[in-house]
Amino acid sequence: MSFIEVKQISKTFRVAKKKSGLKEAIKSFFKREYLIVKAVEDVSFSIDEGEIVGYIGPNGAGKSTTIKILSGILNPDFGECKIAGMTPWKERVKYVKNIGVVFGQKSQLWWDIPAEDTFDLLRDIYEIPEEEYQSTKNDLIKKLNLEDIINIPVRQLSLGQRMRCEIAASLLHNPKILFLDEPTIGLDAVSKQLVRDFIKRLNHEKHTTIILTSHDMSDITTLAKRIILIGNGKVLYDGSLKKLKDQYETETTVYVKTKDKLDIRKKGILKKSKTKDGYQLLVQTKELSISKLLPLLSRKIEIEDIEIENESIDQIIVKLYEDYQI
Amino acid sequence: MKIYVKALGMHLKSELEYRVNFILSFLSQILVFFTYYFVILSLFTKFSHIKGFSLWEVLLCFSIIQFGFSFNEVFARGVDKFDELIIRGDFDLLLIRPRNILLQVLCSDSDFVKVSRIIQAIIVLILSIIHLDIQWNILKVFTLFLMLVSSCVIFFGIFLMAASYCFYTIQGLEVRNVFTDGGKQMAQYPIGVFQKGFVLFFTFIIPYAFVNYYPLLYLLGKKEQYYYGLSPLLVFLYLIPCIMMFYQGMKRYTSVGS
Repeated sequence: MSFIEVKQISKTFRVAKKKSGLKEAIKSFFKREYLIVKAVEDVSFSIDEGEIVGYIGPNGAGKSTTIKILSGILNPDFGECKIAGMTPWKERVKYVKNIGVVFGQKSQLWWDIPAEDTFDLLRDIYEIPEEEYQSTKNDLIKKLNLEDIINIPVRQLSLGQRMRCEIAASLLHNPKILFLDEPTIGLDAVSKQLVRDFIKRLNHEKHTTIILTSHDMSDITTLAKRIILIGNGKVLYDGSLKKLKDQYETETTVYVKTKDKLDIRKKGILKKSKTKDGYQLLVQTKELSISKLLPLLSRKIEIEDIEIENESIDQIIVKLYEDYQI
Repeated sequence: MKIYVKALGMHLKSELEYRVNFILSFLSQILVFFTYYFVILSLFTKFSHIKGFSLWEVLLCFSIIQFGFSFNEVFARGVDKFDELIIRGDFDLLLIRPRNILLQVLCSDSDFVKVSRIIQAIIVLILSIIHLDIQWNILKVFTLFLMLVSSCVIFFGIFLMAASYCFYTIQGLEVRNVFTDGGKQMAQYPIGVFQKGFVLFFTFIIPYAFVNYYPLLYLLGKKEQYYYGLSPLLVFLYLIPCIMMFYQGMKRYTSVGS
């Protein structure tokens, strides 16, 4: 049995139907119409200890709902879920000691006082022994580069600084599982890099199981080997990122800079067109891999420069969403 | 308990971050308080008694209710402002901590400005005790103590009940103010001055009468039976359904979208 075992969970919400306009608002005040929204439907997956899983899907797909169910905040209407041998919503108090949660859009830090005060309160809430607390805290301060910001009231921190403090706050009790709900939302490139490096290191050193949702695909590519794609509340893809890439990334454009005339005809080259200082080739990588193409080209022409454009993962995801019509 | 005290300290620290604001609010509370006070005073310039209760008797009653209400505003602000906790979605954050939810709700907010009101309530209480000619004995001292405690308990119960509604509607109902602010306004006077229907309502539905009417009668010597003096104890029973309602509501919690 896996570390995290989710079996056919479903959750529906009853949402009040609202139309725009004051008149409608008043009308709905007296008589409400409800819409049943299936947030997640029949979701199953299992995750092993120490895995990093990217949980992706468009807005409103059910990502946050799943995270909330897994972290014991919501109970599903149907289905089972065992994590580290416990059912999150049934043994809440015992279970949540094992998890850390970072909500990118919600803060667990106290706004008007330094983050360190929040850390101290968390120590008492989790009943962390003083010695362990100090060593964990110092370790986090070092790795997340918090020395200078931990004593400043949180409201004065930048978003990136705050997010680093948030992550530290969720790890003080050394959880076995870490849920990251859009941890890099709104961060600049440097902060993003720092957060990613830290997460990678955490997984490597402490073997923490990490479930990550993000709309920033570079988060997912740098961190997760495995992704679970969810759309309209259903799991649409569960597997390695590489496989997904191979499946969808079938065409590559190669730009060659050369003064020679190129005459090439080969199965796999779909299109050849002349550019200002060379050629542009559209290659079907299944038929003709880039590694085979290169020697072929160099035999025929003098290559001054070559540029290979991969489809970005974002484009793949857009394609994927289109394919599944979500 | 340690966590609660620590959280209180952190709230105080947060509030003191805005020093000028804190001092001004603290002082403005005195003004607000005096408007309540003047309503009663001006009433008594017209009438020397209301249904047999004198000015200082009413003020005694008033101060006890004000004390209980303000006490909750300081120490149970999180329950009072529970609807905000739900709407902001911060309730989720409480659920991921390995602690009792109610304790965490209590820790979630506090309003130290209202300490100002507690102090004023105590001053009015002391003044009215000095002016009243009460035949003190041990049981009467105990009764007074019970009245103060039950006043805190009843408002806590009402706040908690109002908080439970939030689980069903996501928004705090204005109806709750009928019981909290409205109830408070009425309970500032000995319940007996009102119509019989009100007396019954505030005895059996929301037991304000056990906080400030029946024990008051005993304290002032209008009733001799000792059980009048001990009647505030019944208010503690009122807490049971309130707490049950809160936990029942929590089962229905559906969170807000992120």
